[in-house]
Amino acid sequence: MSIHTTHAASTVPDARAFELRVTPDRTQLFAFGAITWNRHKIHFDRAHAMAEGYPDVVVQRGLLGNFLARAVAAWAGPEARIERLSWKVLRSAFPDRELSCQGEVSAVWEDRGERLFECVLRIVDPDGLRVADGAARVRFQ
Amino acid sequence: MNMQPTLSNEVLAWIGSEKVRRYEVTAHDIRRFAQAIGDSEPAVADDGAVVAPVLFCQAFMFDDVPAHELPTDGSPKELDLPIPATRTVGGSSEFEVLGAVRSRDVITIRAKLKDVVIKHGKSGTLYLVVVETRFENQLGVAVAREVATYVKRT
Repeated sequence: MSIHTTHAASTVPDARAFELRVTPDRTQLFAFGAITWNRHKIHFDRAHAMAEGYPDVVVQRGLLGNFLARAVAAWAGPEARIERLSWKVLRSAFPDRELSCQGEVSAVWEDRGERLFECVLRIVDPDGLRVADGAARVRFQ
Repeated sequence: MNMQPTLSNEVLAWIGSEKVRRYEVTAHDIRRFAQAIGDSEPAVADDGAVVAPVLFCQAFMFDDVPAHELPTDGSPKELDLPIPATRTVGGSSEFEVLGAVRSRDVITIRAKLKDVVIKHGKSGTLYLVVVETRFENQLGVAVAREVATYVKRT
């Protein structure tokens, strides 16, 4: 997971596509809101979320980004380094619904003897609707 | 006659303004963040420091203001602009990971209101609030930069 301070050579994975499935629940939304000190009621107060037109509390934008980061890290391995991650929320996600966090290598190049991979990312909900699009740049030392 | 909404001088004056704050990173914070994102135990470096997940700086995105200073919907104070919009939702993020964040680091956060853009969508007028946040450690080394866009609407 995550970034590392060691400089051991990293192994480039064979797979060019990857997926991580996650099902956020209300406890996870609460925990993420607490650690990021995000007290926006749409993330924990169902009545408030419904008053704003949502069917339930809303998964945080930041948490969706972390799901993508986990998907990339699980594919890339512990010695690779995520240098850049971007994502755009296209529709809201809600708790207790499985999200498929998908990635695919879109470009590979070399920089100072190290390999860099560009990946396109997306999050898809159980209805097959796209929740977020994104991209990541990963360096293999 | 142009009836499209425009930004007030007050909002325009806020664009470019920056707030600076500082936090000390604890192993406790990193472990809680890792658990909150559903990650396994965070990595531990040879010197015993706990290494944070890549987007850990999100933990410092919002200021420690008391609840009564927040808008009534509890949305972040940083987005509480004098614009005719009451609902807020996260839009997009561009996050650069420039270095590792470890326990015992002291992170300086510089959050700047970069822009406010008016868009006219199917559901009405949208205000895109763009916040740039830069994170630097106690050695003066940049460790992360995020440009986040929030969507505010009536």
